[in-house]
Amino acid sequence: MKGPVIHRSPMPGLGLSMGITLTMLSIVVLLPIGALLLKGANYGLAGIWETVNRERVWAALFLSFRLSLFAALLNLVFGVLLAWVLVRYRFPGRRLLDAAVDLPFALPTAVAGIALTALYAPRGFFGQLAAEIGWKIAYTQWGIFIALVFVGLPFVARTVQPVIEEIEREVEEASATLGASRLHTLRHVILPMLLPAALTGFALALARAVGEYGSVIFIAGNIPLVTEIAPLLIIIQLEEFNYDAAAAIGIAMLLISFAMLLAINLIQVWSRRRIGYV
Amino acid sequence: MSDASLAKPVRFRAATEESPATRWALITVAFAGLAILVFAPLIAVFVEALADGVAASLKSLASPDARDAIRLTLTIAAISVPLNAIFGIAAAWFITKFDFRGKAFLITLIDLPFSVSPVVAGLCIVLMFGANSAIGGWLVAQGYPIVFAMPGIILATMFVTFPFVARELIPVMIEQGRAEEEAALTLGASGWRTFWTVTLPNIRWALLYGVLLCNARAMGEFGAVAVVSGKIRGETATMPTTIEMLYQEYLSVAAFSLAAVLALLALVTLLLKTALEIRHADQLAATHRH
Amino acid sequence: MLTSLPQRTAIRNPRAQARKTFEKQPMHIEIDEISKSFGTTAALHPVSLSLPSGALVALLGPSGSGKTTLLRILGGLEFPTSGRVLFDGQDATGLSVQERRAGFVFQSYALFRHMTVFDNIAYGLNARPRASRPTKAEIARRVTKLLDLIQLPDIGARYPSQLSGGQRQRVALARALAIEPRMLLLDEPFGALDAKVRKELRQGLRDIHDTTGLTTVFVTHDQEEAMELADLVVVMSMGRIEQIGKPQDIRARPATAFVKDFITA
Repeated sequence: MKGPVIHRSPMPGLGLSMGITLTMLSIVVLLPIGALLLKGANYGLAGIWETVNRERVWAALFLSFRLSLFAALLNLVFGVLLAWVLVRYRFPGRRLLDAAVDLPFALPTAVAGIALTALYAPRGFFGQLAAEIGWKIAYTQWGIFIALVFVGLPFVARTVQPVIEEIEREVEEASATLGASRLHTLRHVILPMLLPAALTGFALALARAVGEYGSVIFIAGNIPLVTEIAPLLIIIQLEEFNYDAAAAIGIAMLLISFAMLLAINLIQVWSRRRIGYV
Repeated sequence: MSDASLAKPVRFRAATEESPATRWALITVAFAGLAILVFAPLIAVFVEALADGVAASLKSLASPDARDAIRLTLTIAAISVPLNAIFGIAAAWFITKFDFRGKAFLITLIDLPFSVSPVVAGLCIVLMFGANSAIGGWLVAQGYPIVFAMPGIILATMFVTFPFVARELIPVMIEQGRAEEEAALTLGASGWRTFWTVTLPNIRWALLYGVLLCNARAMGEFGAVAVVSGKIRGETATMPTTIEMLYQEYLSVAAFSLAAVLALLALVTLLLKTALEIRHADQLAATHRH
Repeated sequence: MLTSLPQRTAIRNPRAQARKTFEKQPMHIEIDEISKSFGTTAALHPVSLSLPSGALVALLGPSGSGKTTLLRILGGLEFPTSGRVLFDGQDATGLSVQERRAGFVFQSYALFRHMTVFDNIAYGLNARPRASRPTKAEIARRVTKLLDLIQLPDIGARYPSQLSGGQRQRVALARALAIEPRMLLLDEPFGALDAKVRKELRQGLRDIHDTTGLTTVFVTHDQEEAMELADLVVVMSMGRIEQIGKPQDIRARPATAFVKDFITA
């Protein structure tokens, strides 16, 4: 397998395109991430552990991860449903619905944040309704949950949609001719086919939610130990010029992201090996 | 028509369909979910912005704070989006026109910013270019501060939008292969001429699509920018960070008016995106990614 | 050890075993004035046809002749605009696809890619309601038997993506047979195979038909295939039946100019 690092090619522009790619990648992404890792290395594992191993930090990391997990789970179910409805059914308003799925990608997080807060605050439209049954949403963990559902909404739907489009009708028909009810077909034939894509979307939504800041801080209330998310802790440390602590928490979050990225890749490897496609 | 068929006006259901009741139930759930999660917040932005009438809303947008913020956000986008477009084209060219070891790893690195929290991205840039760092300290001494200044915001914006264009172009260019470029080269076209007359026309819609998404995110980025900008009014406060400041000062109409401008931008982006998907589906990666 | 002896014999002679499963009287299928239109275009003009019990029937015609539509109507995948389908004299027009118990082999085979060959073949049995579902051991026994029948005893653990085209076709056949179908319907069963494999599998289908005794209908556009394999050939064109007859009769006395053209082409 030991070939040259770069194969000879008649294509022009190797030096230029490689130069631009590697230089910009380094300046914008690699060096800054390197700086964070270097800071962590200087601070030492013991230092990082000392920073992270405090009640307030654990509480924030655990809160971010737990609520992100719940939000991603809801998005997993709702996203598969949305994808199915958008691909398989024809009804008035389908294009509108399809475009609306992308709004959380397009709407700036700060805008989403204040809009959700306006809706779910005690005097907001949904907040008032909830208050009547004694349910407080904004400034509680429920508020964070809703914001995280919002930002993660498109991921599962958008990864699953193309897979549904590619399912051959004959496979569903085969299942029916073998005597399976529609429900049995959905559960044993279609859902397994959607699973790898759905899990990929789930992991993407989870990764996004864990790191989310803008749409959450307005609705969260930001009470230490209760509704304080991990990214906010970094900002607080930075405002106090406590770079070591900020870096320590940042590295902890980076590790979570990398673990998620690894999970996504493993899902795809597993899926490709088992059924020959992603 | 035979008697049998007249006697039995049965409406058969295809083997691959759910019952109409199930179908309508699922459609209703989809609409209800999106109404609560997506349409309601969108409407709320405009309702809150116009709470004191159109005049009050427009007046708040004409205030110096809002105008500075809009100007800064436009400037940031005007610099960072073209830079990322250049990067995207160069990276896609490098990756799809050449064979080299570590290609998959390079693609992973380009995708990396999507899985890093914007706040962590901002933190990375502060640690790299802040006044406390070696490079940052030296640059400040030369009179070129990065963090709490425009270059920092541009870097942060570029970080979070880094993969958009490349990610859209790579699959399209893989699919199109190298044959057309090779043909142009054998006909004696120069490298640049081949790019401008053969490659670019083939990828223009995908490029536009990527730039569109990149721009929407660039103008709306909050977390990363909040960390690196210092949010100095009139200097480093972008539209999203100004929204936060106004909101925290209980200037609801002003905050939501600015938010409404960004929401309109998001809507226009979605509109153009949908139009591209309908008209140029065959030339986009997003519409036939498997 | 002693108890497993009969099964050993069975493995040595799978055909004998298979015959036992299908020894009921094969079904007689009657198509009575069936028509089908999609929107304003008619895919089938009223056609009538009687398929004798236990016959191997070819629906032969060019694409667009309505042969696949007719097959899908028999399988319950499509419903006629008018007319009736009778199974053993009883009206089956309103039966759902699940109730028909037609062993259907699709042109693309439509194997479930996320399941092993074993699970593919067992699918129909596992999909039965709990009350009528065979035990796990019984299912395993039947799948093993079917794998022997298609002469691929060792591929149960593989996934469809690891099989050749010819193997996939036989697995699809075994999967259709697993539900103890009342008839066997095959849509261009050899369409996706290269010429050499095609010839080999022709005999395979003939053997399986003779073993199971099932009334079998297959769709093809290849006149040589139809003539060589079928007991009865139904030549179709433009949604109409041009001629029904034994291969030698059709060859000797083509009823219409179309048939003459088509079988000599």
